[in-house]
Amino acid sequence: MEKKPIVELKNISKQFPGVLANDNISLSIQEGEVFAILGENGAGKSTLMNILFGLYRPDEGEIMIRGEKVELVSPRDASALGIGMVHQHFKLVQNYTIAQNIILGKEPKKRLLFMNFVDTKKAEQEIADISRQYGLEVDPRQVISDINVSIRQRVEILKMLYRKADILILDEPTALLTPQEIDHLIRTIRELKNHGKTVILITHKLREIKSVADRCAVLRRGRLVDIFDVASTDTKEMATKMVGREVDFSIDKSEMIPGEVLLSVEHMSVETHDKAMVVKDVNFEVRGGEIFAIAGVSGNGQVELVSALYGLMPMKEGKITFNGVDITHLSIRERTEQGLSYIPEDRQETGMIGDMALFENLAIKSYYHAPFSKHGLLQFDAFEKHADELIESYDIRSGSGGLTLMRSMSGGNQQKAIVAREITLGSRLLIFVQPTRGLDVAAIDHIHRQILAEREKGHAILLVSLELDEIMQLADTIAVIYGGEILHVEKAEHLTQEEVGRYMMGVQE
Amino acid sequence: MSGFKNRLARLYASSRWSQLAITATTILMTFIVVSALFILIGRDPLKAMYSFFQGSGLGLKPSYTKQGGILSDFFSFLGILAPMLLASLGVVIGLKGGLFNIGVSGQMLFSGFMATILVGYADFSPAVSILLILIVGLVCGGLIGAFIGWLKYRFNIHEVVSSIMINYIVSYATGYFIKTKYVDPIIRSSRAVKPNARLAISNVKLAGQTIEIPIGIVIALLAAFLIKFFFDRMVPGFEIKMVGHNRECAEYAGVRINRVMIRSLMFSGMLAGLAGVTYYLGYYRTMTPKDLASLGFDSIAVALLGNLNALGCIFSSFLITIFQKGAVYMGSATGVVREIASVITGILLLFSSLGDFIKAKAESYSQQMTFERESREEAER
Repeated sequence: MEKKPIVELKNISKQFPGVLANDNISLSIQEGEVFAILGENGAGKSTLMNILFGLYRPDEGEIMIRGEKVELVSPRDASALGIGMVHQHFKLVQNYTIAQNIILGKEPKKRLLFMNFVDTKKAEQEIADISRQYGLEVDPRQVISDINVSIRQRVEILKMLYRKADILILDEPTALLTPQEIDHLIRTIRELKNHGKTVILITHKLREIKSVADRCAVLRRGRLVDIFDVASTDTKEMATKMVGREVDFSIDKSEMIPGEVLLSVEHMSVETHDKAMVVKDVNFEVRGGEIFAIAGVSGNGQVELVSALYGLMPMKEGKITFNGVDITHLSIRERTEQGLSYIPEDRQETGMIGDMALFENLAIKSYYHAPFSKHGLLQFDAFEKHADELIESYDIRSGSGGLTLMRSMSGGNQQKAIVAREITLGSRLLIFVQPTRGLDVAAIDHIHRQILAEREKGHAILLVSLELDEIMQLADTIAVIYGGEILHVEKAEHLTQEEVGRYMMGVQE
Repeated sequence: MSGFKNRLARLYASSRWSQLAITATTILMTFIVVSALFILIGRDPLKAMYSFFQGSGLGLKPSYTKQGGILSDFFSFLGILAPMLLASLGVVIGLKGGLFNIGVSGQMLFSGFMATILVGYADFSPAVSILLILIVGLVCGGLIGAFIGWLKYRFNIHEVVSSIMINYIVSYATGYFIKTKYVDPIIRSSRAVKPNARLAISNVKLAGQTIEIPIGIVIALLAAFLIKFFFDRMVPGFEIKMVGHNRECAEYAGVRINRVMIRSLMFSGMLAGLAGVTYYLGYYRTMTPKDLASLGFDSIAVALLGNLNALGCIFSSFLITIFQKGAVYMGSATGVVREIASVITGILLLFSSLGDFIKAKAESYSQQMTFERESREEAER
């Protein structure tokens, strides 16, 4: 049966400051299919879908819906055309009930005494009908803050269905779900397809694509690389297409000279605020001169693991020994003084103070001792001298040197500054969390060289990254984390990218 | 026209002149709106404006009482300026740490009350009294401030909520004690403190006028410079700023943010305490039961107008006190109700809160200009 295209994107380009997020992308999606968009972080998947949803306007290109050219100025336009989107971060009113959230902006009304009132009964009835039809059971009277992530996602899907959307965009819908919840979601997607809906699934998880999608487009660094039929392609091929081979920066990496064990983590468990176990009984050791990389799909506990290691999050159980000292109960400052450096994932919120100058930011971990302060007084000469040295030797570019407001610098230079600060602490263990996220190629290269230089000095490196490329390039030892557990630890040279990818999906031999 | 606009944008965006230009604009716009207001109710705006200055001892009145004069008016102005400045400095310290101490009035009332009953009715020599009053002010204000900080740290109670509640607790509790134990039945306020226990030197003759020299103003100016130094040069000040700008990053950098937040509110309370003793034992000498000083709330406006800068507060407290203090004379001279002073303060605050907006607009405008110029040059090449 010949199906007609429902969404056509023609030559879409979108430029952000410093990044070409979408580079001349054309694709056409058939009515009633499940169409996956695959790509690494920063490949431009979300940007493309935000354009289709009217949140961004493309710099170039046009959009056709059901064969007609459309101008999408706001999500309202997209909604009117039957396009619905579930964002990665849900957009729900916390203290409203499920029913109130679903009808918000499109409330059924009843008139009473010449005034409009929300017809709650009718709303709940309609919602119950839709839930039954698609197998999405919810209790419309529950308040959002009382329900868990997977039900919230269900509410988001119901919200689209209530608005009679028939093109449904799901942005990384499984990022926060457990395996069982993922299975349920996949059944829901099939159900939606059976009802004739078109589903666009943004993801970087191959297993989901394999189990539910009809066709798949691959984006890499803003460009459309390939479109293929899912049924006739195996996951291995997909991974190759996603990661790509052409961006293989070869960096001179010498043979590892293993030093003594610097860090040992025993039986570490971490719980979040709402008592979810995100790290479960993890054990590992890192040696001097070793880059120990933790690979894993986002949200598998890797960030919580290193946060607890650095003291940003409380540990439920376990013991951390660093350099022969038990640091389990030390404060962050004491850990820093013991020789721990930490380059956080969220550089703008955690790693720096945007409203302070560069020279201050370079000293936020050392301002309280000599030479930065004497007798409780800050020594700005020392601050500036320190800043000038770092700017020089780490090639940090800023408008007016050390006096530049940190916020006004580019992301790459902010990260260079943070890395420079952490390295000059002289720590023996450096924890890098997603050190190159969102950076351009040159800045990535710079950071990678710094990491290798630290390794040469005999320091231990703990690297957490979602980029498999990065891990394969740098790591001496790779630990794969899945569902809060370390599934596999092995020397990097004994592993291929595909094997690591498979462990990341939770596949055991 | 575009050249003028361009130059204006550059002035507002320049790092050196921006603050001055924006403050000047704020005041100018306030004067325009207030003048329009006076014209609307049929008064001469210039005369009305000038009467505020006359009432504050900054302009000659047409006539004076026998012992009064411009000097006595001016020193009286300084007497109320002192607590205003101290209170606004208290607000500044809190806000620098990202904490909103809205309970300045309560802290003033508590420390003023404690100083009144502990020192005000005792027979110490003036020097000892002054010292003791200041210590009581610092301790009592600091205790409440630290308590608010501790509540935030221990029970996660927002400082705005707890400090407002403490305002009422203090107001009713002191009100009860004043009425039952320390009341002067004729004036229905607390008994006046003894002359040797006041933060002012009374009955000084100068140029034929009887003036009262407030000690508080010296303390307030000293405090302003001290706080400036504290935030510019001292380690604990730097920590408070870090926490205020980005709590998450401060924690990551190893700052014990809870301790810093408690400390910041304690210092804030100490300044409010000093404001309290200079207000109740300096400018006044009695306390009305259950009366939270509106000065404590005005000080928030002063702190914001002073751009959270200790020295900026000297300027802004001066400005706002002119309207507050001069309002009485303005009222009798022009027949306009004196509540107009609060309206003016409000308008001033409204315009000053536009400062960041003006700056951001100017920045993006001059950035765009630079960008256009560069691309033009690029094209020419």
